[in-house]
Amino acid sequence: MKKILINIAAVMFLLAVIFFLQELLMPKYMSEIPEGNLVEEYYREEKKHDVIFIGDCEVFSNISPVTLWEKYGITSYIRGSAQQLVWQSYYLLEETLKYEKPKVVVFNVLAMKYNEPQKEAYNRLTLDGMKLSKHKIGAVKASMMENEDLITYIFPLLRYHSRWSEISAEDFKYVFGKKKLSHNGYLMRIDVKPVGYIPKGRMLADYSFGDNSYYYLEKMVRLCKENDIELILMKSPSVYPYWYPEWDRQMVDFAKDNDLAYINFLEIAEDKIGIEYDKDTFDGGLHLNLSGAEKFSEYLGEILSNDYNLPDHRNDEEYEKIWRDKVDFYYAMKEDQERELKEYGYLKSYGAVAQTIGDGQEDE
Amino acid sequence: MRKILILIILAFLLTGCGAKEEPKDNIENNNDNVIQDNQQEQQDTQDSVQKEPSGYGFEYNGVVIYMNTDAAPVIEALGEYQHYFEAESCAFKGLDKTYTYPGIEINTYPLEDKDYISTIDLMDDTVSTPEGVYLGATVDDMIAAYGVDYIESSGSYTYIKDDSKIQFITSADEIVAITYFAIVEGLE
Repeated sequence: MKKILINIAAVMFLLAVIFFLQELLMPKYMSEIPEGNLVEEYYREEKKHDVIFIGDCEVFSNISPVTLWEKYGITSYIRGSAQQLVWQSYYLLEETLKYEKPKVVVFNVLAMKYNEPQKEAYNRLTLDGMKLSKHKIGAVKASMMENEDLITYIFPLLRYHSRWSEISAEDFKYVFGKKKLSHNGYLMRIDVKPVGYIPKGRMLADYSFGDNSYYYLEKMVRLCKENDIELILMKSPSVYPYWYPEWDRQMVDFAKDNDLAYINFLEIAEDKIGIEYDKDTFDGGLHLNLSGAEKFSEYLGEILSNDYNLPDHRNDEEYEKIWRDKVDFYYAMKEDQERELKEYGYLKSYGAVAQTIGDGQEDE
Repeated sequence: MRKILILIILAFLLTGCGAKEEPKDNIENNNDNVIQDNQQEQQDTQDSVQKEPSGYGFEYNGVVIYMNTDAAPVIEALGEYQHYFEAESCAFKGLDKTYTYPGIEINTYPLEDKDYISTIDLMDDTVSTPEGVYLGATVDDMIAAYGVDYIESSGSYTYIKDDSKIQFITSADEIVAITYFAIVEGLE
């Protein structure tokens, strides 16, 4: 009996060591590439949202759930991630519905341009953060590049074991818990880099979105219909990557055929939303900064509130209490970014270090 | 029991090592993310290509430009550009850059601390490929210059050479777009 107990204890100890090593070696994405944390942050959230946004950087950089709350009392969460592909969006939505039932889902359609997986690094930014479930397995299977293995997503230690020589203080600091970086999935940036020269879209041989993209978009439509959820397709008001008119027409047709709303906010960004691309973007038009995101969210909130009759929860004590903390965190981060800008002349943290501040010759 | 434990540990480690070639550990700055792991792996595989330029080369103002080669000397040799654009790279850590010159647009991708040539677009008929094909030429002109070893899809003809390819898009038998591409995982 004693021997059995010792053996059980030994196995438990071994598993604990393996678990610890895995947690230690996994990238933390705290000081750099904060978007690597977005997917897993959702699990710590109170899941009572009327709107879920899904998609790539054009949602997690361009929409402020706090503005939607402050202006309209709309509760929302962004399940976004870097270069989130359509099948990843589908499985993230499927997983989200396990936790909550939103009234509206908004999907950004830029990802339709990718018909197949692009790169392991981007797969990891979305998939490593997902909790192990059939949804994650589905997402991984749909996303894997040729040289990837499913097992490395189930046991990430198998992928990251070689990081032992790169371990930094940050890895130890956040080994069992990370600080919150986003505002319900929104990554805040207050710095400004105006839109300058934007390259024209290269001519393509075939502008048709691929079958794989359509397959998962159609699955998303079915999933929403089955759950009595309004699905809105949108093109966020980012001016680059180039959004071809031929792509837009396909989305207009798809929306019509499936009785959905599709809104191209890029077309109305300046005239109706009031976005000023000389001051409302932090990287020359790829993503909106805080002032741009707040303008866009205010416009979007009016549509959600009026056309989809979403309730105003601001007088509901339970919601008010949850969102009070979020609002405080939001303005504290804004204040801290303003301090950094004032102190250094540029944003030193918040994932901004990976970007070049200037690059020699200016555009004429 | 001890044997079982040892076997479990060995299986774990061996599976991990076998699953993927280990990235080199000489990355400066030890940034903890898989993007850098991948960059290191790609750097390893590309070193040989970058030492000896190969594949399709495009000549502009006396400068021969090859895909996947260091962009800095090319940009310096070409002199002042008309426009410059940069965007956070979707495939690598850093910035994709676009330099526009009369008749062409050069794009680069970042890897480690350098930028490499990813694409060259011919923008008008003031320029042509070294083989003499230009915008407005015919499919027959293209075949005469490059042969029949192409991949055709939706009116585009693609020729592959080493880690580069050249794509001609046609409309009504006329070439309407010419682009050189580096063949690198993750680049569109």
